[in-house]
Amino acid sequence: MNYLARLIIANPVASSHLGYDVMGANPSTPPRQMAYNLGNNRGTSSGAEPFSGPTVPTWISDLESRFPRYQVDMVVRRSKLSAKPVYVLLLAALLLPFAGLLAQADGPPSGQQTNESDQYDESVLLSRIRQLTFEGRRAGEGYFSPDGSQMVFQTERVEGNPYFQIYLMDMLTGETRRVSPGQGKTTCAFINPVTGDIEFASTHHDPRSLEYQQAELEFRASGQEHRMAWDYDPEMEIYVADAETGELTRLTDVRGYDAEGSYSPDGEWIVFASTRDAYNRELNEEEKSALEVDPSYFSEIYIMRADGSEQTRLTNVPGYDGGPFFSPDGKKIVWRQFDEGGLLADVWTMDPDGSNPHRVTDFGAMSWAPYVHPSGQYVLFASNKLGFSNFEVFMVDVEGEKEPVRVTTTDGFDGLPVPTPDGKTLVWTSTRYGAEGRQTGQLFTADWNHEKALELLEQAPPRKSHSGSQ
Amino acid sequence: MNAAIHHTSLGRRDSDPVRKPAAYFTLVAALAIVTSIPTGAVPALGQAVATDVRQHVETLASDEFEGRLTGSEGASLAADYIISQLRSMGAAPVPGQASFRMPFEFTSGVIDTGSSLTLRGEVFDGDPVLQGAEVLQGLPFSDNGEVSGSVVFAGYGITVPPGQDYPYDSYANLDVEDKVVLVLRHSPEDVEREMRATLSSYSGLRRKAMRARELGAKALLVVTGPRSLNAGKIANVRFDSAASGGSGILAASISGDVADKVFTAVPNGSLEQIQEDLDAGNPHAAGFDIPGLEVTLDIAIERETDTGYNVVGFLPASNDTSGVEPAKPYVLLGAHYDHLGRGRSGNSMARGDEIGEIHYGADDNASGVAALLSAGVTLAGMNRDRAVVLAFWSGEEMGVLGSTAFVEEPPVPLDQVIGYINFDMVGRVVDNKLTVQAVGSSDIWPRLIEQSNVPVGFDLQIQEDPYLPTDSSSFNNAGIPNISMFTGTHEDYHRPADLPEDINYEGLESVARFGALIGYRLANLSEVPAFVQVARSAGQQMGGGDAARAWTGTIPDFGGEVEGLRLGGVMEGGPAAEAGLQQGDVIIEFADQQITNIYDYTYALESVKVDEPVKVVYLRDGERYETVLTPRVRQ
Repeated sequence: MNYLARLIIANPVASSHLGYDVMGANPSTPPRQMAYNLGNNRGTSSGAEPFSGPTVPTWISDLESRFPRYQVDMVVRRSKLSAKPVYVLLLAALLLPFAGLLAQADGPPSGQQTNESDQYDESVLLSRIRQLTFEGRRAGEGYFSPDGSQMVFQTERVEGNPYFQIYLMDMLTGETRRVSPGQGKTTCAFINPVTGDIEFASTHHDPRSLEYQQAELEFRASGQEHRMAWDYDPEMEIYVADAETGELTRLTDVRGYDAEGSYSPDGEWIVFASTRDAYNRELNEEEKSALEVDPSYFSEIYIMRADGSEQTRLTNVPGYDGGPFFSPDGKKIVWRQFDEGGLLADVWTMDPDGSNPHRVTDFGAMSWAPYVHPSGQYVLFASNKLGFSNFEVFMVDVEGEKEPVRVTTTDGFDGLPVPTPDGKTLVWTSTRYGAEGRQTGQLFTADWNHEKALELLEQAPPRKSHSGSQ
Repeated sequence: MNAAIHHTSLGRRDSDPVRKPAAYFTLVAALAIVTSIPTGAVPALGQAVATDVRQHVETLASDEFEGRLTGSEGASLAADYIISQLRSMGAAPVPGQASFRMPFEFTSGVIDTGSSLTLRGEVFDGDPVLQGAEVLQGLPFSDNGEVSGSVVFAGYGITVPPGQDYPYDSYANLDVEDKVVLVLRHSPEDVEREMRATLSSYSGLRRKAMRARELGAKALLVVTGPRSLNAGKIANVRFDSAASGGSGILAASISGDVADKVFTAVPNGSLEQIQEDLDAGNPHAAGFDIPGLEVTLDIAIERETDTGYNVVGFLPASNDTSGVEPAKPYVLLGAHYDHLGRGRSGNSMARGDEIGEIHYGADDNASGVAALLSAGVTLAGMNRDRAVVLAFWSGEEMGVLGSTAFVEEPPVPLDQVIGYINFDMVGRVVDNKLTVQAVGSSDIWPRLIEQSNVPVGFDLQIQEDPYLPTDSSSFNNAGIPNISMFTGTHEDYHRPADLPEDINYEGLESVARFGALIGYRLANLSEVPAFVQVARSAGQQMGGGDAARAWTGTIPDFGGEVEGLRLGGVMEGGPAAEAGLQQGDVIIEFADQQITNIYDYTYALESVKVDEPVKVVYLRDGERYETVLTPRVRQ
């Protein structure tokens, strides 16, 4: 049974809306373009002109009302899931009969307890689940020093700045301190496992950053809320903060979004994502329009030395490549590759020189934010396999021979999973406690049952092919 | 435990002007563990040591302490025990105070010593003087004295302020100045449900008295109408310590017979007929002067007063700090040590053969006292820029009397208190959950909570609302940032069954450690956190009705922030139990009203009627269910 069919069965009331209104919409409008418009109508990223296009068709708000849980201010790692792909996905479900997209996706819609992986509760793998961060509106992306004593993360805590800044938490005392300058946007921090230096991406050098902050605050004050304030700002550059002095060194200076960086286990290399390809050559008309619609389309994986030298491109496939991390032994890079349409994403691995790209998931959904468990045996990632409103953490064997296994089973957003270096604790971002208007992501943590994880992975069925690719 | 040994080991005397909080705090966090162990090895961080807290709870909740009723011998023994513990941790009385015990007066009861009502008019043979407990009683909040005047009947005596959904004014077009107002108790019964809820919430006796006073009336007489429950009976108003005291008006409850006598002065007057009209929701037709009648009301009530004792200890700031006095140099932590005695007055929920037994109050609130004593020991051994005040309140169960008295006559200036941490019912940690309440009272709390919970690792439930039925509300009223720790209600709440064996001592020790860490951070905070005045929701602004008329037998869980109202339990054999509701169910709809929080629920309760079934929609294990609940008269 395909996704739409299940959606309709699950929401019989919805079917008439879907049937009628999708026909009423202009099916010839390319999904990406429609999605872009819709996304923009929900509010553009800071600094951009307010969108003055057509109003949102009512079926979209109808659909949204069926997925109230998605109305969250998601913290999104590496993939930088903007509202756009989300709407594209919503749209994809609606246009399924026309576009033939997701035709083989067979995950049940949100809330349905039909999937085999729902047979167990998340407590099988996760115990002592608890919220780790409380201060500030939202937090996410926690990554650890090799001894697990320090965690770097991003959170919105600076007064007057509605964007993330980078903080370091002492996991023994709970003491936190800010690492980033406090101005502009930052994201994607990582601790150098050898030196303790902290790399992250920031726009603080952009003279317009205060202006952007103000605009975003005013936008919020107007009572509106961005789905995701992310725009692949070409001013985003990678910095490194010295472990001792805190002094910042800029590592990238090419126009384009440079972010999503992480260190190799030996601390010698940084693998990252960049849209520089879009800004440093002549684009054809099609590409120009693609850039306008969604700059992430141009994002590719790059690698450089920890001092910023030897910047080298590793991927060359159309579509958003991002969120790269080294495997624990440093021999592989795991990352998330969107398809060209920006609708589906899967987990891939490759060698650090870009060779031997290998598909790990073929899940027919938006599967992203992969991170290899310290055992090296499996990859934790997030997917909307069970519905747009319900991103969940999954895991898959590192070779990708099996179907992924569901990890979290709580409503709301669960994603960006990162195990501690001892492999015994999981930290991830969740909206599970988002009552009373606080439906924003915060970091959660739980004890991780590695043995049970291996057992479940062993029992998982062989990987199905959703994409038709090998 | 000698704190001085630890001071030197911390190396805080370093002249290094730049603090290294992380490294420093690592030591202190470890110390927090060490100090709570009498002897033996240092346990790993996160491993709780529960020996002391168990001893505290088992002592305070033993027979000898007889339920620690405020003003009782048992409470005095509890105070002695707490003082001995304070001494052994090195705490002293607050500077300027002679003793750890800080007395406060409270009203322990009200008796009517002979109030009377005299009716004068042509229709009366002679001038009947009505007196005696069966016919007339001064209300507990009434002033004493004698007034005379003509009588005005003002329906239910309810005024709903303009701007509400259901504007209503029993006094419309009535002149009651210098007169005696006669009103019906409760509120109109036959109006539509939502209106009934609104009217009910303005129907409290005290509220009715305040309204009459506001309009210039000399006195208020209340009668339970012929169509109401307990028709014609004197209002048996539960004495409410917190709300006692002169109200600036004379007020009495009269029997139906007395009211009938008054109405003989009304041509063709029948109170029953009038009430029937009022109950149909026709408010404004009803008020009228009672012709040819003058009354004299003489109220003679005596308030019995007694003395309760807060126990307050003081840990001075560490003497090896920088020497610069920090802004707001006091941190305040508190827990009430009183409970219900044998539950003979107040809010006991004892059932059947439990009635009259000792209410041990192991969770409520021997647990909080134990946590506070343990936190005190920890804090005594830590370097602090600020002094710590450890307050053990009495009179909480009677309406936060002890903490209110403290706020009224503080031994340290309240504007010098940086924050208050409360522990009330913290002994029943289940599934590693701890609720932190009143977090909305300052922006500083999320940070301190986050940092303090990293080493402790509770599954914290955060609740912003500071309007709580516990001592923290006294400090919220005083504009002090405050939080309260709470592990949830349960079936044994306010019953003799609240026993030491049901306490989770490891969890309790973790609460103590968590509280101590927050206290430690407050004590060394370089900035002064601002107090945030949290807006009261509409439900909270309601004055509350006249003692709930209909009983559902639900025990709301005040902790957590689920969407809906989670049940901490249901009363055995009560309407909720009969409807199949259980502990843990989350009510999301009640009597056709959406329930998103406790206030919605309270409001919805106002609308229900005895013997009128209401639909209840609830979630159990995430699944939605419906049932029908039929409220009854409380037994």
